[in-house]
Amino acid sequence: MAKRKSDLIQEENLDSIEAHLAGTLKPVTPPSELIQRLRGRIQMPTRSEITLRLADWRRMFFVLGGVMSGMLVLVTLARVFYYMAGRKG
Amino acid sequence: MTELEYNEEEVLALASQGDREAFGQLYERYVERIFNYVYYRTGNIHDAEDLTARVFQRAMNHIKNYTDRGVPFSAWLYRIAHNLVANWHRDRSRKQEIPLDDLPILPTKGDHPERNLVRSQEQDSLLRMIRKLPPERQNLLILKFVENMSNAEIGAIMNRSEGAVKSLYHRTLLALRDQLEDQNLNLEGE
Repeated sequence: MAKRKSDLIQEENLDSIEAHLAGTLKPVTPPSELIQRLRGRIQMPTRSEITLRLADWRRMFFVLGGVMSGMLVLVTLARVFYYMAGRKG
Repeated sequence: MTELEYNEEEVLALASQGDREAFGQLYERYVERIFNYVYYRTGNIHDAEDLTARVFQRAMNHIKNYTDRGVPFSAWLYRIAHNLVANWHRDRSRKQEIPLDDLPILPTKGDHPERNLVRSQEQDSLLRMIRKLPPERQNLLILKFVENMSNAEIGAIMNRSEGAVKSLYHRTLLALRDQLEDQNLNLEGE
């Protein structure tokens, strides 16, 4: 009987703690400017995203191809100028 | 956006194909909940903002890896948040920074605005006590009271069965009661 009474008191204590937890741990409303700032931050490409883009082999293929072609054009133009300058000399 | 217009499966499928607008919808839906979780776990608005941003950045970068294997998207997001908060606590303990005991006050939902700006001494003491609990117990209380989740939903996030969550919750209440008794703190009825 005594044990039942102590169980009852214990349960009441726990109920009281639960009630206080409910009163203390309440959902908060973040300031709207904070939400806006966060949205702005998330829309920016992150470092890992840039790494991912570089890992895209098709894009890399075109980028490398473009760079190589550009270099070839530059080398050809340099040779033309060198040839013309040599003839004049 | 109404529930009818929002179909999470479709939005997730689009977001995983890199659709930023779809990811934006997920962001709008979950940002406050994730912020609340991080805010109560860190006790600091600035770090809560920073970590919330990192949760969504990480989610955006890894959303292709998310597959619904019985774990809802929200649970996946909370797990990311949990890992980032754990790293944050680890970094802070390495730097031996002074622990933040007093949670800055933000307006709570549903209460009168003036009432929001005051937190009783009892609530402050209880918050301090909660913040000294082991992380998984803090998670449980935040998910239960702040996020209003069921034991089953909490179990999905914490990777535990519903029964295990129920048992952990009971042990947490007992631990809090013992701490209150140790500190001679009496939580009077409101």
